[in-house]
Amino acid sequence: MDFDFTDDQQQLRDAVHKWVEKGYAFERRRRIEAGKEGVAGFSREAWTELAELGLCGLYIPEDEGGLGMGPVEGMVVMEELGRGIVLEPLAQSLIGGAVLSGYAGAELRNAWLPRIASGEVLVVLAQQERKARYRLEVCEATAAQAGSSWTVTGTKNLVPAGDQADAFLVPAKASGKLALFLVERTAQGVSTRGYGTQDGGRGADVVLDQAAAQLVTADGLTALEHAVDIGLASVCAEAVGVMDQTLAVTLDYMNTRKQFGVAIASFQALRHRAADMKMQLELARSMSYYASLKLNAPAEERRRALARAKYQLGQSMRFVGQQAVQLHGGIGVTDEYIVGHYFKKLTQLEMTYGDSLHQLGEVSARMQDTAGVFA
Amino acid sequence: MDLAFTPEEQKFREEIRAWVRANLPADIAHKVHNALHLTRDDHQRWARILGKKGWLGWGWPQAFGGPGWNAVQKHLFEEECALAGAPRVIPFGPVMVAPVIMAFGSPEQQQRFLPGIASGEVWWSQGYSEPGSGSDLASVKTRAERQGDKYLVNGQKTWTTLGQYGEWIFCLVRTSNEGKPQTGISFLLIDMKSPGVTVRPIKLLDGECEVNEVFFDNVEVPAENLIGEENKGWTYAKHLLSHERTNIADVNRAKRELERLKRIARAEGVYDDVRFRDEIAKLEVDVVALEMLVLRVLSAEKSGKNSLDIAGLLKIRGSEIQQRYSELMMLAAGPYALPLIREAMEAGWQGDAAAGALGGFPGGVTANAPLASTYFNMRKTTIYGGSNEVQRNIVAQTILG
Repeated sequence: MDFDFTDDQQQLRDAVHKWVEKGYAFERRRRIEAGKEGVAGFSREAWTELAELGLCGLYIPEDEGGLGMGPVEGMVVMEELGRGIVLEPLAQSLIGGAVLSGYAGAELRNAWLPRIASGEVLVVLAQQERKARYRLEVCEATAAQAGSSWTVTGTKNLVPAGDQADAFLVPAKASGKLALFLVERTAQGVSTRGYGTQDGGRGADVVLDQAAAQLVTADGLTALEHAVDIGLASVCAEAVGVMDQTLAVTLDYMNTRKQFGVAIASFQALRHRAADMKMQLELARSMSYYASLKLNAPAEERRRALARAKYQLGQSMRFVGQQAVQLHGGIGVTDEYIVGHYFKKLTQLEMTYGDSLHQLGEVSARMQDTAGVFA
Repeated sequence: MDLAFTPEEQKFREEIRAWVRANLPADIAHKVHNALHLTRDDHQRWARILGKKGWLGWGWPQAFGGPGWNAVQKHLFEEECALAGAPRVIPFGPVMVAPVIMAFGSPEQQQRFLPGIASGEVWWSQGYSEPGSGSDLASVKTRAERQGDKYLVNGQKTWTTLGQYGEWIFCLVRTSNEGKPQTGISFLLIDMKSPGVTVRPIKLLDGECEVNEVFFDNVEVPAENLIGEENKGWTYAKHLLSHERTNIADVNRAKRELERLKRIARAEGVYDDVRFRDEIAKLEVDVVALEMLVLRVLSAEKSGKNSLDIAGLLKIRGSEIQQRYSELMMLAAGPYALPLIREAMEAGWQGDAAAGALGGFPGGVTANAPLASTYFNMRKTTIYGGSNEVQRNIVAQTILG
């Protein structure tokens, strides 16, 4: 039982921190959000910079071009990206790297893993369907086999940077059973419609009409659950970074802003609110650790842990986000000031890979007679 | 970073578990698991068993006869005791006054008082709060006037937990009115059998007398019972508070009680009611998050790398969780938590199976009689030990200045 970071992990954190501070200031983020580095909400240039730091290959084995690191390193990186409310979806490379190296055959691995690691290609998970909400087993997309090749037909929404990605990891039903496929965006039968998202990032609807696909694994649900759990751990860590900054700017503002002739930090009602935000942040940080440290546990234990973690994070994100805006007063609801952007990011993260009500249902369904971290 | 305990820590846990299983009297564990009334004798029996093993002062350094465990070992010991259904060790002797005597007492005081604390022979009480001094503890008014080789003590303490059983009491007393309130306080050990000491139990919402008023009327206390220097008592009291850090979160007991809540909910037929079950699920997440918070503090203490100054958060969260599980247990029983049948809180109650020794009534439903009482009792947790509002002040001071 040990929650200290190693020197290597600290160096990784410092490197990402430095890039965020120097290379991804709020002004650049604004430009990217406005599409001034390409399309609204995504910059290929920024993506390349992340790749140059080695981050796109974090979960990819070293002999396949990656860094071969684990969940704690992933957590450290996502926390720091959260601090800068970075728009580019690095979590997708963590998911893609882990899923392809964990479930795909040699051909797919060789073709994609080194290029994901180098940042040459962006592979994203395209699981969201209109009727599924957050349920992973609900899937209307279908796959058909002709000889040794596959095609997939269906519609996926909210695909991260979906019109910019090079390939999608797509769950689809093959003979009634969920399987996972890789579909290239330029394949025939693929059409996309990109749009900005509320957090300033980018999503897309992806329509697949008998699009050529390669089978990643026939045990699609197992792989999809794993993929989403990596996504959940990433969301938790990213949210901790966002909340760290959110609380910091709020405390700073409370000590600066004067009303009735004194700093508003002198009012007990507001001080107690700040203490409650600190509580939610530390509970969230604790559960983000828990999420990442359980990421390599057996599936059932992992799923239970990730649901617990995301439920806590969801509660914390909503509280910290809403109260940060409230404590800032009017300036908190302007586009000009950064705290509103933290709030929007937190709101979107709560709704990513299962909101609080969904996760509560998961926790509730998976309860055991015992309880606790070591249950 | 690693969630798992080390093999050595696991082995330590198993040794503790085996010993507790072999030595904790079954009748006491039964009472704890069912929230039945614990007598003075129950507490004393368990204290003496621990004392004989040298574990009543489980946080003590080896120099004073303790096991010299580190923060993680102490936590594992507390967890194994809690999960097995051991009563909470009455902390006033081994956890509170003993560290003060070790740090600030004279060698004579250490030799005189520590053995009786370590063995569980002497029952200690805490004399801090007064009718006019709750959250504002530094305002204590109980006076101790030096007269030759003794102090003459006059005043009143209150909320003295289980003071009716107490043999000795450590008190914050006022020895000076000069300067700031904190600078005129002394730390005095008082024999409760002294003439002029009167203990009056206070009946609480659960009908039990868990706390007392203690009156001092011209009580003569030998000057040799003063700890350290006169007017330095506030410093010693703060040292004492620093000794209940993770302990105060009581997460081990929360884990045990969450299991009990699930058993009660199942027995009452609400475990599969989605609205009720979700409330348990929320509490489960709260308990896991609290445990992670506690583990982070322990890890920081073990490695000494990042100090985590979040004792206030632990107190707030731990106490909120205690209240919530007691509330949900009561709500699980619904109307059957309402009968006020005191006998049902005693061991040996035959319940509703038959008209037993203590007068069960076939057809009645009294097994849940303690649930509402516990709920009422637990309202204390957000008030004592520095109310949660005072804790929020402390947290805010840390982050806002």
